[in-house]
Amino acid sequence: MAGNEEGALWSIFGYLISGLVIWGAIGWALDHWLHSHFFLLGGLLLGAGASLYLVWLRFGQK
Amino acid sequence: MIKLLEAAQPGFKPPGSGDFIFQPIFGHSLLATKPVVLLFFSVILISTFFIISARKAAVVPSKLQFAGEAVYGFVRDGIGKDVIGEEFQRFVPFLFTIFTFILTNNLFGVIPLMQFPTMSHIGFPVSITIFVYFVYHYVAIKKHGLGKYLKDMCFMPGIPKPMYILLAPLEFLTYFAIRPLTLAMRLFGNMFAGHLLLMLFTLGGEYLLGSAWFLKIFSAISFSLAVGLSFFEMGIQCLQAYIFTLLVALYIAGALADEH
Repeated sequence: MAGNEEGALWSIFGYLISGLVIWGAIGWALDHWLHSHFFLLGGLLLGAGASLYLVWLRFGQK
Repeated sequence: MIKLLEAAQPGFKPPGSGDFIFQPIFGHSLLATKPVVLLFFSVILISTFFIISARKAAVVPSKLQFAGEAVYGFVRDGIGKDVIGEEFQRFVPFLFTIFTFILTNNLFGVIPLMQFPTMSHIGFPVSITIFVYFVYHYVAIKKHGLGKYLKDMCFMPGIPKPMYILLAPLEFLTYFAIRPLTLAMRLFGNMFAGHLLLMLFTLGGEYLLGSAWFLKIFSAISFSLAVGLSFFEMGIQCLQAYIFTLLVALYIAGALADEH
């Protein structure tokens, strides 16, 4: 990808959102299905971690 | 809650999302409302400007030709060539159309008498985004094939295999949902909020003008803020047109790249 700062900024923003959304949704679905209460929180934390990891992979290594 | 607030302030009614809904200027068709009329006008305006500026193209350019070429050059070199690279030439018309179209429609927000940024109606940014969405996926699928495109997208080389469970859905969602959503929402949100802000200070100033004498001083402040913010808005409007086009170019560049 081109090293454009504005573009990188918005890509990072997109990754952070999608990490929270997808793993949060999976956690919420598990909670809904198993009648538990901790998968949503776990999913959100996992998603936040995963997206930070991905951002580091994409933009942090150079 | 809203009723309570309205009861507490019987005088000034702040602008809200209701002020973005227009009745048809004539007849009953939705096609005759202010945003749609502005949209058609922008197309006529852009076409006329660039046809006239390009008609008498000469080696020594007239002022008009110079202005037209400056905008074109900015999109071609500043956005297309820098971001997309080798194959940029065939995407320049697309990028150029998006840029001028959004810029003109945004600037309608501060031009007297029009004073409404068309893109503050979410339908318009969404429509442009749908075009963009199909273009960048089509470009990628045509170049790499669907299987390789998805594989490159979701499975980044050089990371431990178990990590793919964590990252593949994330990448997929980013490409197929979050990117187009943020693209449309960013443009819409900026234009909506900016127009609301200008309305607030203008209507506020107008209301204060009709109040007690000592409040008239604040009316002047409110009006001057409205004027100042109009210039600020003009900056935002240009910036948003630029960012939208830049991101479209980035998405196309990502679609063309051998590795994502």
